[in-house]
Amino acid sequence: MRLLRATVHALQIPFVESFRHSAHARHASDSVVVRVVDEDGVAGFGEGAARPYVTGETPDGMVEHLARDLWPAVVGVELPDPVEDGLGAVDALIPALDLPGVVAPNAARCALELAILDCTLRASGASVAALLPPGRDMIVYSGVVSAGTPSAAATTARQMKLVGLGAIKLKVGTGDDVALVGAVRQAVGPEISLRLDANGAWDLEEATKILAALAPFGIASVEQPLPRAAWRDLAALRAVSPIPLMADESLVTRHDAEVLLAGEAVDLFNLRVSKCGGLHRTAEIARLAADAGVGVQVGSQVGETAILSAAGRHLAAWLPEVAAVEGSFGTLLLTEDVSVASVRFGHGGRAPLLGGPGLGVEVVDERLVRHSRRVVELCGPGLGP
Amino acid sequence: MRATLETTLAHHVDLLTGSTPFRRLESGEASRQEYDDFLANLIRAHVGSPPLVAFLYALAPPEARADVLHNLLEELGLEEEDGVAHPALLRDLADGAGLTPVLPELERLAAADLRQIACEPLLYGTLKEVGLAALCEVVAFELMLSRVASRIQRLLATHRDLGPESLTWFSHHAEVDIAHAEQGLQHIETYVRYYGIDEEDASTIIELALRDNVFLKRYFRQVSPTTVGASPG
Repeated sequence: MRLLRATVHALQIPFVESFRHSAHARHASDSVVVRVVDEDGVAGFGEGAARPYVTGETPDGMVEHLARDLWPAVVGVELPDPVEDGLGAVDALIPALDLPGVVAPNAARCALELAILDCTLRASGASVAALLPPGRDMIVYSGVVSAGTPSAAATTARQMKLVGLGAIKLKVGTGDDVALVGAVRQAVGPEISLRLDANGAWDLEEATKILAALAPFGIASVEQPLPRAAWRDLAALRAVSPIPLMADESLVTRHDAEVLLAGEAVDLFNLRVSKCGGLHRTAEIARLAADAGVGVQVGSQVGETAILSAAGRHLAAWLPEVAAVEGSFGTLLLTEDVSVASVRFGHGGRAPLLGGPGLGVEVVDERLVRHSRRVVELCGPGLGP
Repeated sequence: MRATLETTLAHHVDLLTGSTPFRRLESGEASRQEYDDFLANLIRAHVGSPPLVAFLYALAPPEARADVLHNLLEELGLEEEDGVAHPALLRDLADGAGLTPVLPELERLAAADLRQIACEPLLYGTLKEVGLAALCEVVAFELMLSRVASRIQRLLATHRDLGPESLTWFSHHAEVDIAHAEQGLQHIETYVRYYGIDEEDASTIIELALRDNVFLKRYFRQVSPTTVGASPG
């Protein structure tokens, strides 16, 4: 089985409402979706979300990397059977390159890995669940509250509680965090689990003071309190923090995971399939974490479509233990998602496992086209543009 | 709650009429395609409304049941002897605007919208909350149309050359929705009381139902190229 052609869609799907955190404000999904087609006409879809402040990628940089470096390495090549050869066989096909100014081109890698997996598994009628056997029969998602005023955050948190979410993550680091967290805690009461995400907004001294002040609000964890490269400071913060620490922007590659584990810098890893370079590489990092006794959360990309949500759901279902799961917001955030059936979670954040072939979502090509700000067609050598 | 609701809905109506695409339509600056897209979206938004009103009838508290039944029969054209179903008035609008060739696609999209609502996982724990969210959206449209239908009718007559026979749907809504909107606001209060929904929870459900401007979302959504792109002219 060989791939014949691909289409790369740089999406721009407007959000229902904008989403802010300390590092960025976002008004539309800027995911990049790759659609590959094999010689029998079977199509597969993958998605990555470029985050300049995380992996260093931009959407256009992703498109160019896919077209210039990654696609030529996989087009026309005999593809492995992932069910027989394992997840790693697809990952091994995709070149790992260093790009100037990029931490790791993982979102592009993820988009292509997922597309190939989806295509090859669809061809044989198998599901990603055959590669990542689920250990649970349902996923329970938590909510994420965008950075904003205490009053606006409290309103959103109350809405999330009303739709049954039992856990909520709150973006901090943009203002008076004590007032913000206090307002949200008051709005949702003591029974809701609250996590924080600072997106690297603080330095060690600030973080030490702020976390001590926030601890009385009953916080389950704080994500990325310090900038990405400050892993030694993370370890120092962990030694004094009353709140468990989670690595996100600091955890992009396997090497990052090894450094964080060796330095005993955090209590938890935030695994995101796009950020970590696809399902195989994310699962490898999860295994390292489990061996070291570090907990994991399955995170998501704000604005991800059903494709990346499906990959996250398969990962979350497979993990033996998971502290929290994010994502699958679907049309709660996007004005339109790209799949026929919604993958959005329902009341209580509950969502079923996806059992269909491939990633388990049927993508509507017309929606991809309609929401693309840029489309690049890729063919094999000698097949023309 | 009534005062807050009225203020919130009035704010959403202002967002619609103050929006750039609406102002372009009203000033005549919009292109023919923009008018056609607006018409297509409006027809898609309302052509499937009878089942939604029937759903509200199913959940209506006893005090409100007669009024909701009246509205449902009116939607179906059964309230008066020579009544016309509202979807038929929208078909007249499509015919008058030269959108007859895309009408089947618009009806298919409207049916798909309804199907999606039925198939999406429910965010709320019980039907009482789902019903309140639906009621809130219907009342929001009634209130908006009671205030804006005449303006839309006028802009379509002036800048899209549509005759009065094509615009009956708007005349109808401009007149009857004044009463419907008033009734609707009362129904929301009755509904909240009947089902024992905590007032703060009710406000939260209403905020969620209206959090993205529902009028802009329905009337100015991106239109599939397979729909109005096929229209003549």
